[in-house]
Amino acid sequence: MTIDKGISEEPRRPAGASPIEFRLDPASGVPTYLQLVHQVEHALRLGYLKPGDQLPKVRDVVAALAINPNTVLKAYKDLETKGLAAGRPGQGTFVQAALSQVALPELAGLRKGLLGWLTDAGAAGLDEDGVVALFTSVLRDFYKGRGGSAGRGVASGGTEGVA
Amino acid sequence: MNVIESAGLGKRYHSTWALRECSVAIPAGHVAALVGPNGAGKTTLLNLAAGLTAPSAGGVTVLGGRPAGSPAALDGIAFVAQDMPMYKNLSARDMLHLTRNLNRRFDQRYAETRLGELGIPLKRKAGKLSGGQQAQLALTLALARRPRLLVLDEPMAMLDPIARHDFMASVMTAMVADGVSVVLSSHVLAELERVADYLILMSRGRVQLAGDVDDLLASHRMLTGPAAEADRYAQRLSVVHARGGETQAHLLVRTTTADGTVAPGWEAHPVGLEELALAYLREPAAAALPGPERRRNTSRTEVSR
Amino acid sequence: MTALSVPARPEDTSLRPVPWRRMGWVTWRQHRSTLAWVVVFLGALAVGLLLTGHQLHQAYVTAVAACRPPANSVTCPNATIAFDGTNGFLANGGILQATPAAIGAFAGAPLLARELETGTFRYAWTQGFGPWRWALAKLVPLAVLLATAAGVFSLVLNWYYQPYFVAANQNLGLEELTPFYPALFGLRGIGFAAWTLVAFAIGALAGMLIRRVVPAIAATIFAYAALAFAAGGWLRPHYLSPAVTTSLNIPGSAWVQSQWWTKNGTFAFSGWPPESLFAQYCPKGPPGPAGPNGKPKAVSLAECLTPHGYTQWTSYQPASRFWPFQWIEGGWLLVLSALLIAVTVWLVRRRAT
Repeated sequence: MTIDKGISEEPRRPAGASPIEFRLDPASGVPTYLQLVHQVEHALRLGYLKPGDQLPKVRDVVAALAINPNTVLKAYKDLETKGLAAGRPGQGTFVQAALSQVALPELAGLRKGLLGWLTDAGAAGLDEDGVVALFTSVLRDFYKGRGGSAGRGVASGGTEGVA
Repeated sequence: MNVIESAGLGKRYHSTWALRECSVAIPAGHVAALVGPNGAGKTTLLNLAAGLTAPSAGGVTVLGGRPAGSPAALDGIAFVAQDMPMYKNLSARDMLHLTRNLNRRFDQRYAETRLGELGIPLKRKAGKLSGGQQAQLALTLALARRPRLLVLDEPMAMLDPIARHDFMASVMTAMVADGVSVVLSSHVLAELERVADYLILMSRGRVQLAGDVDDLLASHRMLTGPAAEADRYAQRLSVVHARGGETQAHLLVRTTTADGTVAPGWEAHPVGLEELALAYLREPAAAALPGPERRRNTSRTEVSR
Repeated sequence: MTALSVPARPEDTSLRPVPWRRMGWVTWRQHRSTLAWVVVFLGALAVGLLLTGHQLHQAYVTAVAACRPPANSVTCPNATIAFDGTNGFLANGGILQATPAAIGAFAGAPLLARELETGTFRYAWTQGFGPWRWALAKLVPLAVLLATAAGVFSLVLNWYYQPYFVAANQNLGLEELTPFYPALFGLRGIGFAAWTLVAFAIGALAGMLIRRVVPAIAATIFAYAALAFAAGGWLRPHYLSPAVTTSLNIPGSAWVQSQWWTKNGTFAFSGWPPESLFAQYCPKGPPGPAGPNGKPKAVSLAECLTPHGYTQWTSYQPASRFWPFQWIEGGWLLVLSALLIAVTVWLVRRRAT
């Protein structure tokens, strides 16, 4: 991971250096670095980012959002661990791979299974908030057991979940 | 390297101890936040680290062992006190000239460029600038000295939200660009959550909590469960703060193990920074400090210079 | 978690201190208005003194010419009175006595007090230059500059008061003024510069101790006044052992410190004789008009007493010791100023480290 050097560069680079810009939702309860990770994953899924694109420079993120650069570094390291990004010394961090796509038939099957479960949950007396609470708790436990990305961060009301 | 390291540091004014038994080891490469209510001793600690006063007990070194207030320490630390002191009747240009003459290193071009970007006229007297502009001028003077450590005492007290954002953005950018470590104090934790990755919680002249934010949050947990079992359960745990109603109790516990096993009927939730800080502040007797020895070892392996 | 890895910074291992001359601009820029008002103030006083001094010198020349023996023209008494009466309030030192105190208080006291009061010391003392070097680099050049300005001004002062101390005063029938006349001693010679210097040093220390501008100014004025009175009343008479004489012709320019009478080698009385003795030997009434010290002219009392075996003793400082006394006083004022400045700088250093 590289850091831009030198204070006395020209002031503002044109925003075209990276296709995306981060935003921050301070009241969401989701840790900052996770918000960045999710935004990158979201952009990948929707096609805003393709392999080979550069992620925003740490310095630009920090200047725009006024957050700790270590947070950005942590997010980029997380993406590296997941294999989604890779740092090139002296140049920045670049998208390496697309998110694994799930095939359409499989998606349809998963969707159907989920609908069935929701019906069962409704029959047992869980309302929408109850469903969300139960699902979030199990989701967290599941991925924690796997050593995955959810970690400690997902608090209540995480609507990101599965795309 | 530890940017600020103290052992048993204390400061007494007449018969009141503003700071007592303060032993901290703040590693480099972080934004360390000193948080606590007014009168907690934050300003005293920062003044001691900057060399503005001498300790009544113990000692403090900065930037890897340099005595606070020594020429080597003054060279590497830029301190911006509360109220951003500067000579109100001097122009911004004069303040640049002044700071250049008082230091060995000064990046004049950087300072002028920055002030130009921020729209701060060089000819205007410092006293006639707005609060946000004065803060940015004080920060520019500090950063142009190319310090290793930037110390800010309640920097955002006088600033409106936009000015605050611009100010912190400038500080964070300097961290990236020049590897400056930052220590700042505030009595408002919410505005620091995005920015701080090392926390020192102070109350009534003592340090209650000190450590890497991630480590602190990982080592605490909020347990929610039946109030009837709360006392019994609490015997086995290290409880920081307990609250709750007749049937339900919340226990903020400090865990040393990473396992998530929890008694049946109880739920464990992670805690946020503000919740953690408030719990400790409400329990003056609670303290959780990593020993300075351990901190020094971990930081040496973490930070590569 | 990861922390930023910082780029290798070229380490300046020599850590030479910031050169002293850099403070030159700092001191100038921050205190140029102080220096300016001192120069303007002394300049205005000098102009005033030049104008009134011209009057004084004219009156003196006129009086001397009118009273030249053996002419004793009709105009002599009038001319003498005219000379004696010119600028009466300045003749006693007037407002000039307060000038060193004013300069010291208003230039010296705010120097450190304002930094401490407004909080700007939190900026100044955390710069690379270092607090005590900063203090020293301000105090010493300003002290030197102010003392120099005062010294230049005292050339005008010395010129102004010259007519009072010239021997030719005798012809005018005026009582000769001793150069040790307390109100004027500190204004002449090098006294004015030395007292301005010590006032500045007192002000600087007061500012550092009191930390508020207005109280520091007040404290400086009080301390200066106390020192000036102590110096004039108790210290100055003892710079050199007084000369002792039995002569009855004590010149008016001498600073008489005490007088006593002996008879046949044993002490009789000092000062004024006891009633009984006086009645016995001076039946014709009190002796002549009072001399410059307010005591009866020694010559007249001697007329009564010496024929009866009494000897008058006088201890005094002759006028010729004026300059040695100036050097002595200037010397200890200089040492005191240096000491006060050193203490001030030491206090800054102690607070800071």
